[in-house]
Amino acid sequence: MNSIINDSMAFALPLFIIAIGGIYCEGSGVINLALEGLLGVGAFFGGLSFAMISTQLGTTTNSMIYLSLIFSMIGGGLFAILYALLAIRFKANQVISGVVINMLSVSLTAFLANQLNYSLFGQASNKFMLAVFPRVTVPFLNKVPVIGAFFNETYVFEYIIIAIALIMWFVLYKTPYGMSVRACGDNPQAVATAGRDVNKIRFSAVIISGIMAGIGGMCFAYSISTNFSPSIYVGYGYLAIAAYIFGNYKIGQTLLACLIFGFARTFGYLIVQALALPSTYSDLALTFPYIVTLVLLIFFSKNFTAPKGLGEVYEKSKR
Amino acid sequence: MEDYFVQLKHITKTFPGIVANDDVSIDIKKGEIYALLGENGAGKSTLMSILFGLYEPDGGQIFIKGKEVSITSPLKANKLNIGMVHQHFKLVSDQTIAENIILGAEPMKKKWGFIKSIDIDRANKEVAELSKRYNLEVNPTDIIKDIPVSTRQRVEILKMLYRNAELLIFDEPTAVLAPQEINSLLEIIKSLRDNGKTIILITHKLDEIKQVADRCAILCKGKLIDILDVKKASTQQMANLMVGREIELEEVREEVKKGKVVLEVENLSYKDKDKVSKISDVSFKIYEGEVLSIAGVSGNGQVEIADAICNMIRATSGTIKLNGKSIDHMNIRERAEAGIAYIPEDRQNVGLILDFPLYENLILKEYFREPYCSKHGILNFNEFKKQSNELIENFDIRSGKGCETTVRSMSGGNQQKAIVAREIALNSSLIIFVQPTRGLDVGAIDNIHNKINELRKQGKAILLISLELDEIMALSDTILVLYSGKVQTIEDAKNLSKNQVGEYMMGVHNNA
Amino acid sequence: MLKKMNIFQRIFYAFCGEGKARKLRTSIFCILASMVFGGIILLLLGKNPIVAYKSLLQGAGILPKIKYPGRKNQLTDILNLLDYTTPMVFASLAVAVALKCGLFNICVSGTMIFTGILATTLVGYSNLDPFVARILVVIIGIVGGGLLGALIGWLKYRFNMNEVIVSIMLNYIINYIASFVINSRYADPISRESVEIGQNARLTLMNFEAMGLKMNISLLFPFAILVVFLIDFLMKRTKLGFELKSVGTSPLASKYAGMNVKRTMILSMVISGALAGLAGVAYYLGTYGSIQPRVLPALGFDAIAVALLGFITPIGCFFASILVMIFQCGTSYLSSRLGVLREIASLITSILLLFSACAVYFNQKADSYHNKFLMEDKSDE
Repeated sequence: MNSIINDSMAFALPLFIIAIGGIYCEGSGVINLALEGLLGVGAFFGGLSFAMISTQLGTTTNSMIYLSLIFSMIGGGLFAILYALLAIRFKANQVISGVVINMLSVSLTAFLANQLNYSLFGQASNKFMLAVFPRVTVPFLNKVPVIGAFFNETYVFEYIIIAIALIMWFVLYKTPYGMSVRACGDNPQAVATAGRDVNKIRFSAVIISGIMAGIGGMCFAYSISTNFSPSIYVGYGYLAIAAYIFGNYKIGQTLLACLIFGFARTFGYLIVQALALPSTYSDLALTFPYIVTLVLLIFFSKNFTAPKGLGEVYEKSKR
Repeated sequence: MEDYFVQLKHITKTFPGIVANDDVSIDIKKGEIYALLGENGAGKSTLMSILFGLYEPDGGQIFIKGKEVSITSPLKANKLNIGMVHQHFKLVSDQTIAENIILGAEPMKKKWGFIKSIDIDRANKEVAELSKRYNLEVNPTDIIKDIPVSTRQRVEILKMLYRNAELLIFDEPTAVLAPQEINSLLEIIKSLRDNGKTIILITHKLDEIKQVADRCAILCKGKLIDILDVKKASTQQMANLMVGREIELEEVREEVKKGKVVLEVENLSYKDKDKVSKISDVSFKIYEGEVLSIAGVSGNGQVEIADAICNMIRATSGTIKLNGKSIDHMNIRERAEAGIAYIPEDRQNVGLILDFPLYENLILKEYFREPYCSKHGILNFNEFKKQSNELIENFDIRSGKGCETTVRSMSGGNQQKAIVAREIALNSSLIIFVQPTRGLDVGAIDNIHNKINELRKQGKAILLISLELDEIMALSDTILVLYSGKVQTIEDAKNLSKNQVGEYMMGVHNNA
Repeated sequence: MLKKMNIFQRIFYAFCGEGKARKLRTSIFCILASMVFGGIILLLLGKNPIVAYKSLLQGAGILPKIKYPGRKNQLTDILNLLDYTTPMVFASLAVAVALKCGLFNICVSGTMIFTGILATTLVGYSNLDPFVARILVVIIGIVGGGLLGALIGWLKYRFNMNEVIVSIMLNYIINYIASFVINSRYADPISRESVEIGQNARLTLMNFEAMGLKMNISLLFPFAILVVFLIDFLMKRTKLGFELKSVGTSPLASKYAGMNVKRTMILSMVISGALAGLAGVAYYLGTYGSIQPRVLPALGFDAIAVALLGFITPIGCFFASILVMIFQCGTSYLSSRLGVLREIASLITSILLLFSACAVYFNQKADSYHNKFLMEDKSDE
């Protein structure tokens, strides 16, 4: 039972933080299918920084792990600037440019991972090995039934994500900036007449989504494979999109959706284990979260109300 | 020396192809209501957008309280205490009234001495106070999408007052209101002046100017024609100046004999996807040679009736008969084939495909039949163009490259002409016009009105839906007034005064 | 007007400005711009970009190589190029048809695996007569892809689901299920891919001997050319094509005009799916002959770039396909000759995609130059 909760949370929370970035971006009126690519580039930067520092120093320490997390945020944010340029400055079709960014991300990280491994470390590999993310156990709380599992041998990044999520919630709902972000997605003209720069707000929201995706991607890299490799691209960015669509663009409800995905994934593996099926069946287990997403979409898509100004290009001269 | 709040000197603004403002100079005194009068496209809105910092002028100067300023953004205008109530409200639909008002000027509070956040309680209180002081009743915590149009307008006014605007610009504020609401808005405007505010009122309605304005500047085709003292000028004088020629205010209406029943609507009801009733139990008949108008404040179900007749939306219950036969089971195309032509409200997104050439748009309702399309589904564009050129000729549709022109590049008036031409060419027995003249200039409006009268003479049944009460009074044989989806009255147009229609539109008429 | 612009603006305007064959010129601009970018990367790696691009063309058979192995020459290279291009033509058409109708079909990869595994398991290992087997494979491609497309279209319309997310979910579901099928029954223990299909079902004649050469001849390539013209005719001259474009441009106006928007959307997804299905059989039962488990074919995504580069027109797709495949076919020769990584090709393709996505912006930008400099010209006079 404990491991179910632990595994599920370790999957759900990175997904959640990526989805929060998506809420900022789409809440401001910019469609963001680029999350997948952003999380990949974020993880690439994090992985690269970790590999470089650890080879340089010859050891690995926990502080380097946290440092790599910061680098992944920077990487995701930088790559998001490219998407923001396409979607906002160049007014390219947002759906298409999102997918373009994803493809560029895949080929760029694959190329760079190979090239840098070769030229920096002299290895023929497309992977950056990572350390194991530190885990902590919170005394007393871990004895509470059911919930206690979450405080037992938990990755530290889960707490980091929860802290960031709280800050992001506060900013979105309690500050002038957050209010403007939400207003931009509904009626950009209202924001413009209130004297704020719509495109700047949108630009910043896209970058925030990149930073959040960077963290999420790095945490996936640590928790799932303890390395960075191009196999990080397995559609988790798209799962995050599905999550905030279920969550109706609200942070609280999105968490619920992420938890559902997390548990669906764990249960998929559990079923294969419990039935003692051959290992080839793990392929079937992998389909579980995607199928859950599809089925949920079938039931809930009718009621979704996307932000009114989503995908609408804002031009100053247009009244 | 007079105490001027705003002085605009020699303002010029050109857009590709047109001169929107040509050397316009006006001075506005502190504490007066100054009206800008002109047709659609005369350059009133452009001039005010320049004053509000939405556009930058190509030439000219702006003085506020005697000092020259350059207003490069709405933010700057706000700082100079200039506020604008736009024609299309700029409100965030899923936030509260108070949140909309404080957007961009949020009151802040500190938690634990360092975490700053929006003080929503203080905002609510301040908005409530403000609304009390200026007699603009609103509930600060209501969500915008749940409140009626007239309240939204009040929110827009409060937004300006919250920013301490001293000059308030109203852009066509009465276009969306019923007559009684118009009166109360005009009262609000007067009381704002009495509170020391300066007001600029953009309008093309002479009676409103007569009612409230002190002075009035008349614009025509971008040029300043005259500045009048409203008390000394006559309505006729202003009208002539506005249009630039003599116009007849009264028109003689020919009698047309009514023929058979064409459209029969019985107990029509429609609920939207949230199960909110939009129209309930509406019944009426339209005869050959009759113009039946549906009057009502915007959003009271008029458009839904038109949409339900054409099956753009599916009626929840009720029956519709065309020429004696039920059309309830038919889809959009079958209904159009059975004899319904429809000029929709949203001409750019519904009536036309803007990125298609004119010839494809003119055949949009007939492309699937011979001679435009063979039995095997192959299109014959020569036939498209032949018919299009005929329509372009007959309806005087003007465009850059004839039938090859992309519709997007045409003027609003010519776009509307294209739709009307296409729909009339269908030779249907019923023609539905929804807001056919909105946003058009006087010449184009005349053109559409003449077409409606002509069709009436030909014995067509016509359903006219309009927010312009004057248009309804001038063109209808019968008037149906709708209020929150229910029929208030159906009456011969001759037996109704404009004021009575207004009372029905507000749902306050006593039948006694 | 031209004299006022600086050299870069002049070059840009010459490619993207008003005038004849603007789409073609803009596409060429995107290609050249991405090649310049690629060239800069190559320079950073210390390689000569001109030599690199030349060996790309040599590898793809456009230019003659210095020497050839036995029974190979430039002709066999070109035939190889066409063999690789065939699935791309179908795939890019699939993207284009859906885009014309306002839908973004990103399930081309999934559809390819779907029809690939279907045809491989049903026909690939059978002893049917080659003629019958090949016809069957093509039919499976069209029908299987069409059905999958119909499913996506139906889900979108019936449940208001975002077709992009549905497509992506289906991509992964199909991918893992196919991998399960391969690993549990058809895996080749050495290559870890599915067992190679029989020559009787193969849509490419492998090592066909003639004129003293060993050639790989794609049987589907002529069919692909035919399909290009068919789709072109469909879009330009038929009622269905008119409705597709109309729904894609303005669904509301199309509904108002009495078109069946739902049916049209589903139909466009059916056509798109069928084309993607054809791409699948051409890829897995033509060019390759086996399926790699757990790998979504990149070709399905590259097809988006190709369709955009071809300005979403069938003829454009055809030429763009050849161009992009020149890049990809030439890579191995490039990497072996210059010692750069194979990934460089897909990187340049992605950059190309990036530029193609901005094509509309380029045209607008050129127009704004046009207005700006033209107006200044007028005021000078």
